[in-house]
Amino acid sequence: MTLKDLNKKCSCFAQRIQNCTKGERCNKHHGPLSKNCQAGKVKICKLTGDRRHCARMAALGVLPGAEAELICPQTGSQCLLKIHGGTLSLDQGTSDNIIVQSV
Amino acid sequence: MSTKPITMALAGNPNAGKTTLFNELTGARQHVGNYPGITVDHKEGYFTHNNREITITDLPGTYSLTAYSVEEVVARDFLTSQKPDVVINIVDASNLERNLYLTTQFLEMGVPLIIALNMMDVAEDRGIEVRFKKLADLLDVTVVPIVARSGQGTDELIRQAIKVADSDKKWHSRDISYGEDLDEVLMDSITIIKESSFLSEEYHARFTAIKYLEHDDQMLSKGQEENPTLARKLEQTVGVISDHLHKTMDAYPEAIIADHRYGFIKAIIRQGVMTHKFDTDRLYTSDKIDKVLTNRLIGPVLMLAILFGLYQFTFSWSELPVAWMGNLFSWLGSMVEATLPDGLVKSMIVSGVIDGVGGVLGFVPLIMFMFFGISVLEDSGYLARVAFMMDRIFHFFGLHGSSVMPFIVSGGIAGGCAVPGVMATRTLRSPKERMATLLTVPFMNCGAKVPVLVLLIGAFFSDHKALYMFLFTMLAWLVALVTAKFLRMTILRGESTPFVMELPPYRFPTLRGLLIHTWERTWQYIKKAGTVILGISILLWAMMTFPGLPQSEQDTFNTARSNITNSFPDAVQQELTSFNKDTAELSEKAAELKDKLQVIDQEESGLTLQNSIAGKIGIFFEPISRYAGFDWKTNIAMLGGIAAKEVIISTLGTVYSMGDVDADDASSLGERLINDPHWNSVVAVSALIFIMFYAPCFVTVVCIAKEASWKWAFFSMAFNTFFAFLASVAVFQIGSFLG
Repeated sequence: MTLKDLNKKCSCFAQRIQNCTKGERCNKHHGPLSKNCQAGKVKICKLTGDRRHCARMAALGVLPGAEAELICPQTGSQCLLKIHGGTLSLDQGTSDNIIVQSV
Repeated sequence: MSTKPITMALAGNPNAGKTTLFNELTGARQHVGNYPGITVDHKEGYFTHNNREITITDLPGTYSLTAYSVEEVVARDFLTSQKPDVVINIVDASNLERNLYLTTQFLEMGVPLIIALNMMDVAEDRGIEVRFKKLADLLDVTVVPIVARSGQGTDELIRQAIKVADSDKKWHSRDISYGEDLDEVLMDSITIIKESSFLSEEYHARFTAIKYLEHDDQMLSKGQEENPTLARKLEQTVGVISDHLHKTMDAYPEAIIADHRYGFIKAIIRQGVMTHKFDTDRLYTSDKIDKVLTNRLIGPVLMLAILFGLYQFTFSWSELPVAWMGNLFSWLGSMVEATLPDGLVKSMIVSGVIDGVGGVLGFVPLIMFMFFGISVLEDSGYLARVAFMMDRIFHFFGLHGSSVMPFIVSGGIAGGCAVPGVMATRTLRSPKERMATLLTVPFMNCGAKVPVLVLLIGAFFSDHKALYMFLFTMLAWLVALVTAKFLRMTILRGESTPFVMELPPYRFPTLRGLLIHTWERTWQYIKKAGTVILGISILLWAMMTFPGLPQSEQDTFNTARSNITNSFPDAVQQELTSFNKDTAELSEKAAELKDKLQVIDQEESGLTLQNSIAGKIGIFFEPISRYAGFDWKTNIAMLGGIAAKEVIISTLGTVYSMGDVDADDASSLGERLINDPHWNSVVAVSALIFIMFYAPCFVTVVCIAKEASWKWAFFSMAFNTFFAFLASVAVFQIGSFLG
């Protein structure tokens, strides 16, 4: 690995850290739930992925248009989502497929 | 007044309080079994109310009645096949919106329904006021507010449930509008279904039509079985609208149906059913606790501390009762020893029955404490958080977050037990992840392996005992996780189950609930492990006893004993015969006689073992086991270890002509091993690796068979032994090569 590659990797890592510590960068987030870095209200825009899984999420109230609250964003992995009075824990695969918009 | 017995079913979302209400109603009068072919618990309880006999079934918690998970299939099948007189739908009053989603499906299914509005106290604390009469009017279903934890309102609930069961009211499928497009298709489908009485014995036409729209796998295959032509026609009808919605709205009918159901619920709630005293956006205490306990950095540290606390609690508090049980069986053994005449029957009862069954029952206090601790974590809601935090690591190895508990219980922190570990895999719902967990938890260093590890590490690596213990514990984790990954990539290949779990709010567990859960699981252990153990114990005893020494050799030993005894004066012989170790000490001469006789006994038992079936097996395997550095004596010990890993020490003691060696007093055996030309540090590491990873003890094997099947139990024995042998051969050959 050249010094340039290493530098590139480090700055990429640093950028990830920055994204997750600086709240303002995450404001008005639009994209997968897993990429949302800040706790707070989100609106579900779309569900993607497997039909069966989408149906199961719909039964849990995770539906386009529903408002939810992100409690513990873990940035790029799992998260806790408060929706319809209950708290759901979601893994990365699931939160990657939930497209949200910050409210 | 009717006296006809009544059947009731308790149904609701997970964590809505079904089991609490079930325990409150039935107490100890309950039976836990499995639904056929799956490991979902089938709980049935009995009680009487005003002389009416009531049988009540606690159905698994579900969010819907569409076949997305095994619990949903079980709950729905039970309702359609058993047709209980009344379904009690437990609804969490503090989480009304989510819970009423299932209620809407019961209404669509058209089952006789009553709603138990549980956790009214929690709702009140959260400033939520639920007008239950209004809710009852709007849903046209009886609603009874209750607090299952304290039993408040349960009497009234049962009274009302009996009323519903006795009434002649005809229950029809409730109409909920799903929008113009879907309603039109629904009407067409209902007409087709009604014309042919399609699946009409089990379901209302509207319910069947909705499930076809929701693309319910189970319903589709049932339809195919009953009437393939009609089923195809229905599939085509719903297929058209499904494609249309997907193209135009990028959504499937099930999402639109769910949306309308939530809309229906919202419309009901907004008619004054529920009012909030506080801001609805506020985070509850539970959410605030979660911010700390599931924090990315602090969370895992706290989790380790809590799990370590559970481990300490289990092993330190159960130490005394385990010792009592041990003493009880020792006392029983000595009683039989003193009462029965010498011979095969006595040997079988003491070594086969009491030692074998006692070995299993001796674990009961430990199991009880372990399950009590797990029940505390489970009932308080913390276990779900542990699963959530561990999911990320376990997911990488093809396991599920919920796999963490079985690993820890099995000896993830050295000293657990694989038997409750295997049983703890019941919390896993995905069959493949459960199987991968079930097959790899025996790799952990259970309490039975620890004395063996201590013996060998103490003998060959006495300068770095703690370091080696730590390294071998880490090795156990590494091997278990890597093996799980290997299994998930090969014979258990398949998609990982998405980790989607509703976290229950933190609650104080009730003592009654904890005791019932603990007893339930402990009894399952006693019953399951205890039934087969007797037979296998006797089999192992027979293998190490028969065919015994030929008469000529027995005579030689008897002659040697007589010669030695006769070489001492009569007074010394008399002293040894009447010697009582509790009250007196032997003279020098008598002690010498005793030692000499003991040497002959040890030689005889060693030779008997060599001549036994187990001995012959040991000798048979020696040409292969040599590659791992094991001689025939070690082979017998390993064979004995299949009964229980502690047996390795006592068997090594016997084969090295030392008579029985207590697992806790293994130092002298250690010295013997160091001095034996067949043993060195490389052989010790090779043996340690083999012992850690080869076939699980037979109690664990029986549990695997009961939890999965005998096929998987044999696979576990064969796979683990094969893997352990390969690893041992590699260690021994590389170690020997490097010198």
